[in-house]
Amino acid sequence: MFFILLKKELFIEFRTREVVLSMLVFGLSIILAFAFTSNVSKVIVTNYAPGMFWIMILFVSALGVHRSFSYEKNFDAFSMLISAPVDRGMIYLSKWISGTIFLTIMEIIIIVPFFKFLLLDLPSNFILFILTMILINLAIMSVAILVSGIVMRANLSEVLVPILFFPLVSPVIIAATKISSGILAENPYQLWQFWLLIIVSIIVIFALAGYTLFDFITEE
Amino acid sequence: MQPFFHNKNNMVFLIVIGTLLLFNIYNITFNTPMVPDQHWAQKIFYVHVPSAWVGFLSYFVVMIAGIIFFLKKNDYWDTVGLAAAEIGTIFISLVLITGPIWATPIWGKPWIWEPRLTTTFILFLIYIGYFMIRSFGGHIERVKRYAASIGIIAFLDVPIIFLSVQFWAPEIQSHPQVEMANQPPGILFPFLISLCIFTLVYILMLRFRIHVIQIKDKVINNV
Repeated sequence: MFFILLKKELFIEFRTREVVLSMLVFGLSIILAFAFTSNVSKVIVTNYAPGMFWIMILFVSALGVHRSFSYEKNFDAFSMLISAPVDRGMIYLSKWISGTIFLTIMEIIIIVPFFKFLLLDLPSNFILFILTMILINLAIMSVAILVSGIVMRANLSEVLVPILFFPLVSPVIIAATKISSGILAENPYQLWQFWLLIIVSIIVIFALAGYTLFDFITEE
Repeated sequence: MQPFFHNKNNMVFLIVIGTLLLFNIYNITFNTPMVPDQHWAQKIFYVHVPSAWVGFLSYFVVMIAGIIFFLKKNDYWDTVGLAAAEIGTIFISLVLITGPIWATPIWGKPWIWEPRLTTTFILFLIYIGYFMIRSFGGHIERVKRYAASIGIIAFLDVPIIFLSVQFWAPEIQSHPQVEMANQPPGILFPFLISLCIFTLVYILMLRFRIHVIQIKDKVINNV
């Protein structure tokens, strides 16, 4: 059942490219704003780069999850989905994994413009940077999809997503910035392993909470 | 439903709590020792820490009420959750006001991203969202479920927020930590008395607020 739901999410995105494209364009606009507002020495920008990168991802993912749920409202598709004999926790899991895939695709495309537009060098350990980024994306999306699922059918959902999502995801943003700073500065793994534990804890707690709560949240 | 304070037990409880609160103010002002390097500023801790305890206790009640609401589908637990969220936010606001008032003379600045205050602030922001969804959520039955979910995930997030803020910037958090358990008896006992009185105040406020929300719901349902 999970794979059918995941296939549905990927198929819709493959046809419309709505989520990835909107996140990508929004991300590029944020990089442009960063470039114009941080015209300072390369050392200062290098120090701030991980923080700027994850601020961009935070904004972009809030937009992305809102899009991924808002098309479910068209023709009342979500009501039809939950009236089908589907474990509702699986809906959360499929949205979570597909959201992570879309965010990762978007990040892989945007990472080079991010570093080049800010006149920075690409991370020397690029593979490690990407691998940790995928783990962080899982954590961000585990929170974002749960929040978006809660407020999806509420009025003012587009306002409520960032208001609830940003404070809840704050430990992920702290950990993500620390991990990326550690990798960019080529610090040994021991110096940033604690932050990986924070990320893994968030993934476990929110994935379990999302899987369990989605049954209740989506009740008619 | 008769008014809350028409019940004799509730009236007696109110008088006892009122007397205890007056005693608490007197006790903190005149019966506690002056700490040499903090002087009057230290006295705020007899209000600040009990407020934090009651605030977090209240948010814990929101989480438990949310879980029971999902399991039993009984509206009473939604009312308990809402009442606890409102009272918790009042006490958490008090923490966020008294914390910087104490910190300004002691640390030299009102805010230094101290882990406990930062966790409190983040939780406060989450609860602003909680009340927004209560107000703008739409369908009343759905809103109850949304609010219960937020109450649960907000409290689950607390230990991780605290841990991450604690290790986030150790260099700006190198201030002396005030551990109440290590204080001399002259400070510890008035503090524990204040803690008990604040908890009693909380119980009265919670029962009163639940009663008021129930009356309000009844009026709305009858209209």
